[in-house]
Amino acid sequence: MKTKRVSKYSWLLLLLLSIISSSKGQQTSPIINASLEGIVIDANTKEPIEGATVQLEAVTHLVRTDASGKFVFVTGQKLPFSVTISYVGYATKTLIISKSPTVIELESDLSGLEEVVIVGYGAVKRRDLTGAVASLPNEYLKQNISALDQVLKGGISGVQVTQTSGQPGGGVSVRIRGGASIQGGNEPLYVIDGFPIYNQPESTGINSGTALNPLASINPSEIESMEVLKDAAATAIYGSRGANGVVIVTTKKGINGGAKLTYDGTFGAQSAIKQIDVLGAQDFATLRNEVMYDTNPSLGRQQYLSQNAIDALGAGTNWQDEAFRTARVLNQQLSLLGGGDRVQYYVGANYFDQQGIIKNTDFKRIGFRSNISARPYEKLQIGVNLSINRTQAQIAPTRIVNSLLIMPPTATVYEADGSYTLRNPFENIFANPIASLLETTNQQVGLRTLGTTFAQYDIVPGLQAKVLLGADLNTRTDKFYLPSYIYEGSVNNGRANLGSLDYYSWLNENTLTYTKSINQHNFNMLLGFTQQEARSAIFNAGSENFVTDELLYNSLQSGSTLLRPESGSYAWVLHSFISRVGYNYLNKYYATASLRRDGSSRFGANNKWGNFPSLALSWRVSEENFLKERASFLQDLKLRTSFGMTGNLEIGQYQSLSTLYALNYQIGNSIATGFASRGLPNENLGWETTYQYDAGIDLSLFNNRLQFIFDWYYKKTDDLLLNVEVPWTSGYANSLKNFGSVRNTGLELNLKSSNITGKLTWTTDLNLSLNRNKVLSLADGNSSLIIGNYIIQVGQPLGTFYGAATDGILQLGEETTRGVYTGNAIPRAGDRLYVDVDGDGQFTTANDRRILGNAQPNYLFGITNTLYYKGFDLSILVQGTVGNKILNINRQELEMFTGQQNASTDALQRWTPENPSNSYPRAKLDPAPIFSDQFVEDGSFLRLQSLQFGYTIPKSWSNHTLSSVRFYMVGQNLLTWTKYRGFDPEVTSGSNVQIGTDLGIYPVAKSLSIGASITF
Amino acid sequence: MNHKIIIAYTSLLSTLSACSTLEEKPEALLVSEQFYLTEVQATSAVTGTYRKLYESGQSLYNSLIQIGVEMATDDYEAGPRARNPHVRAISGLTHDASNDRMEQLWKQSYDAINASNLNIKNITAMTDNQIRPNIKNRLLLEAKFLRALHYFNLVRWFGDVPLIIDPVTSLTPAQLYVSKSSEETIYTQIQNDLLEAQDLPGYLEYNELDRGRATRGAAKSLLAKVYLTQELWQLARDKSKEVIDEEGYGLFNTFAEVFATDRKNGVEHIFSAQFQGNSGYQGNSLASRSAPADIPGINGDYADALHLEGRLYQAFESTDSRRTITFTTGKTSPVDGQYYGLAQPQFDKYYDESVIGNQDQSSKNLPIIRFAEVLLIYAEAENELSAAPSPEAISALNKVRARANATLYLGGDDGDSFRELIFEERRKELVYEYQRWFDLARRGADYYVAKLRTANKLLAAPRHIHFPTPQRELNINPNLSQHPDWINF
Repeated sequence: MKTKRVSKYSWLLLLLLSIISSSKGQQTSPIINASLEGIVIDANTKEPIEGATVQLEAVTHLVRTDASGKFVFVTGQKLPFSVTISYVGYATKTLIISKSPTVIELESDLSGLEEVVIVGYGAVKRRDLTGAVASLPNEYLKQNISALDQVLKGGISGVQVTQTSGQPGGGVSVRIRGGASIQGGNEPLYVIDGFPIYNQPESTGINSGTALNPLASINPSEIESMEVLKDAAATAIYGSRGANGVVIVTTKKGINGGAKLTYDGTFGAQSAIKQIDVLGAQDFATLRNEVMYDTNPSLGRQQYLSQNAIDALGAGTNWQDEAFRTARVLNQQLSLLGGGDRVQYYVGANYFDQQGIIKNTDFKRIGFRSNISARPYEKLQIGVNLSINRTQAQIAPTRIVNSLLIMPPTATVYEADGSYTLRNPFENIFANPIASLLETTNQQVGLRTLGTTFAQYDIVPGLQAKVLLGADLNTRTDKFYLPSYIYEGSVNNGRANLGSLDYYSWLNENTLTYTKSINQHNFNMLLGFTQQEARSAIFNAGSENFVTDELLYNSLQSGSTLLRPESGSYAWVLHSFISRVGYNYLNKYYATASLRRDGSSRFGANNKWGNFPSLALSWRVSEENFLKERASFLQDLKLRTSFGMTGNLEIGQYQSLSTLYALNYQIGNSIATGFASRGLPNENLGWETTYQYDAGIDLSLFNNRLQFIFDWYYKKTDDLLLNVEVPWTSGYANSLKNFGSVRNTGLELNLKSSNITGKLTWTTDLNLSLNRNKVLSLADGNSSLIIGNYIIQVGQPLGTFYGAATDGILQLGEETTRGVYTGNAIPRAGDRLYVDVDGDGQFTTANDRRILGNAQPNYLFGITNTLYYKGFDLSILVQGTVGNKILNINRQELEMFTGQQNASTDALQRWTPENPSNSYPRAKLDPAPIFSDQFVEDGSFLRLQSLQFGYTIPKSWSNHTLSSVRFYMVGQNLLTWTKYRGFDPEVTSGSNVQIGTDLGIYPVAKSLSIGASITF
Repeated sequence: MNHKIIIAYTSLLSTLSACSTLEEKPEALLVSEQFYLTEVQATSAVTGTYRKLYESGQSLYNSLIQIGVEMATDDYEAGPRARNPHVRAISGLTHDASNDRMEQLWKQSYDAINASNLNIKNITAMTDNQIRPNIKNRLLLEAKFLRALHYFNLVRWFGDVPLIIDPVTSLTPAQLYVSKSSEETIYTQIQNDLLEAQDLPGYLEYNELDRGRATRGAAKSLLAKVYLTQELWQLARDKSKEVIDEEGYGLFNTFAEVFATDRKNGVEHIFSAQFQGNSGYQGNSLASRSAPADIPGINGDYADALHLEGRLYQAFESTDSRRTITFTTGKTSPVDGQYYGLAQPQFDKYYDESVIGNQDQSSKNLPIIRFAEVLLIYAEAENELSAAPSPEAISALNKVRARANATLYLGGDDGDSFRELIFEERRKELVYEYQRWFDLARRGADYYVAKLRTANKLLAAPRHIHFPTPQRELNINPNLSQHPDWINF
């Protein structure tokens, strides 16, 4: 194997050498005998345009305008010249120039039809798109956000982005056109500068709390554009990884013309959006007295504290106040971009430092990027896109937010002697959350190098060969220490762990592309072979029983008890053949077909290979003469339709094999190694297959001032992988099977409107999406599967809550008549009543459950308004969901009025003989934790997600060294309207089955930052 | 020029494509096909199955049977720190088919049975080149012993249960959805496995390095207990007599030695769950579950408590050495050196002085069957076979009493009273050894209900001599039905 690797690179070297040697003879030097000078300005504002491309017809040379809009052309031709000028956001202009110097005015192009959109293994003009591909509006890239997947939130129809943790650097869940997979992954495939990444955290098994988002290790402020591929026409070229949609990320590249140094810095403050109302010390003490009396009346009504003692208590400890803080966030970005004819570069450095709104949590990133492309010879283009980022995070330990809420207010953070209170003093044992938070070392330090490098050679006109090599190298050291003076560490006199992750993935793509036009018949073809391999290894070690807490995790050998070390590794391989043919006639009638053949190591021996075809047709009706003549208000009308198959292979590793695990036992007073079986083999295990139809209309009206994109889709996913529960009698709890099908169907609307143009410009971008998810069938003729608080049932969407329905409170005198509906053996007035769903005359948790709503929103929307006036700019990003339900687990805990842990202020309305509430039960020691509709809440919300206000100093004010200065402020999540009673309605558990469960995540923060962007 | 590039390009493709392969070869995991190829592997597969006595967390012989079964008796209750409502439900006899501890009893037992089934199937298929015949035979019988032990538990807890003796090889409904077999059928299987397991080596025939494995004596003792439970008195009497006379076991001189870490797998220990603390290994967590919670530095959980109204503590004579080994009434804090008295006696059998403050790591073994119990099995069966207590039965009882410094029984009662005496003796001898519920349940519903009501557990009902079949299993397996006593509860 090793020698083969060497030979691989030597072949590459040979290829490059042969290309170089073959190119040498073709090199020609331009004959310099004429020049053209000019300036390119905005037709509307008359401001110079920097970076516009100026190209002479018949010559491949092009130049770009500098910061003052000027360009100089030196060429072998003579006046007059035919010149084409283009710049993003402006209509491309071709004109004949007969004098030098000249002034060229560019009209801003509202249609965007000429913009180049990056698609899988290529790029096309928006005009020529046949699939459903959406580009993220620029305003979204300017948000003050730590990870690149978070910036998608609200920006694109059909894309739902939900936080799984507000921990700095924490995770998000992204769903494109609804989730279909239950056991497998639902996250889209990210393709960063050509490198495909599935975003999944990996654990070394030692850290506590939420997993960090691996994409947080990539700097979002270096992103030039993001495209979301939604329909099968766009995603089928990614085959077995396309079913969840694809996000194509392109980082900033160099330009031809001068060097531009930009400093961009923001500084801001973040705080919690809200606190949850819980009881103060006096109310809590009263509650506890009540519970103790209820349990043991013979000891009186004041077993916990006397009334005098209660009166002396004061407010007690507000645990949320103790934990939350106003936290700073800082982002510094320095970049240099520029280049000449043959070499373009972008180099950047970034430092991001975010404190968490919960004390002793943070995330820091320092990174560098170098994107360089060169054309050493006329026919050869080479390039490298490389980023290196170091991240460091201190993570909030698990369940900390939950503990903050239920820790009794009568407990104190510290004992009288200054040491930490170890734990809840009452029967329900859990650690003092402030001690856990402040004293636990729970760190991850990662280093990620992600890069692609390519060589592209023009073999004959229209035919290009491209070889791309990429690598994603990810190493991480995890550090953990529990000191002996906090509860978790006290049992073992301190515990230290170290973990390491070593992940690498390499990619090789070899493609041939050919474009040809014959008599208005335009063809383009793509053919290629790609392969990707990933290997990952983890290792962890630890020890306990330290004589001092000074050494933290730095000296495992100082612990007297060694913990069993663990290690593991996995690998996967994907081989793919890709092909695509595009055809159009007269730029009017389009057809695109693609086929990918994927071979994956992850599937059963009988099911390694799969084919993923797609076909798309589109018709630009607006190009037809009958419309061109009659409808001058219509600039573009395109009808699109597509069909295709994609797959999902995110099922984890080695799932088709029956693997063994080590299980040791004490034999003869020493430990003997044993092994046991982990599961059943399934040689037929295959991917989930998604069939998707899409029909869409693109419409531009009134000089492109109003643009619609409308899509309807139907997506059916078959052979769903599910860890189907099997009877325990088999010796296993579940087994992975391809088991049934789920469909997502929906509508997407994008509306872009230029409301006002001129000195004041105002644009509105609106997107609305609606997705309906439904389970179509399950395996083995089952009609439903109950998983925890959820049911997967034919005819219902995924994320359907299943539990008891509350029916008021048992009142005095009803004990014998309605007591059977409490589920308690000895019902008493004040107990909660439940609906007897099966009508058997009593309530039991197992039999009396029904559907309590679901976590899927009826629709999602995002609205962006952008205004410019005389250097001022304002963007307002609003987004929300309507109709989704959230299971508020925190509240389920807070409404157990047990007196052993704190309760929500709802406890003040609890049932007592004097206050016969019909909403809140009585206080008692052992309420059964029954999941009921009480805790399923409306999760609809409307949120001012981002507010950006900036001012750019006029060019005339700034001197020559400063080419642009902009001051701005950015507010994130400043206002939220919702009925949801938890910390934040943008919440999900991250698990596919438990969509919309709020397990008490680290709450999302609101923030306000100020910044400056200065370009020299 | 161009064809040169194309050649180079194609060569590159072909070379690179040879570079990675789609075949899965996990480097850090073993795959079943790679296993059961050598004697060492077969041995470690059976070793892994012993660990299924308590795999991880609250597991069968590491507190689950205490929490999920013994709580439902007159001697135990959920302690102040037992916060799991499912556990409190069992203690208060309000549990139902969705009780999670009951699910674990079912799940873990079948998991262990499956491990034995896999061992039996795969080791049987091994050739003489791969494994020595005597080792092969021994491993097969060890697996059968363990399978019998788990089925014996299951049939007593749940009554009729599915009988699975071949490992599941595919996910077909026929293999997965097995219906229940009658108690009788299950008992026949248990007897057959144990009868075979009587060919295991005796405990003195194993070398030191193999102590703790199932032995001939263990198989015979368990068989005697199975016969006793089935009220096959003659068989129970004969089999226990055989153990007493032929297997070389005896009682330790003192009761303390039964739980001494330096006496593990000694003359009285016929079969035990083996524990070893602080060695990257799981300790006996019953120690921490019963240790005091409020004494500085002890760090107990106090989740398993003595049910005072059952008056177990008072049942001991003051001279009875078992009382001070079984219970503690106070401890000295390792932090401040002060003695703290306890509000009520707490269990202390597994408290390990070598890991004060960290009782999770107690190294004390948990006896599954020991010689003192065999003596009591003999006494009980002998009593059932004779009109009045026989001298042999009285003598067996008195051996147990004498060792504990309890007053010797002099006779004079009728058989019924003597039976009660033996049960009382079992109760005192085997406290906190997962025996009480089995003893109460095998006497029938009336006896169980009466005993619990006397101890003020007023919700005890006849159905409680079985546990309900877990609702989860009923949901999944269409061929499974609830225990008739538990329908509608």
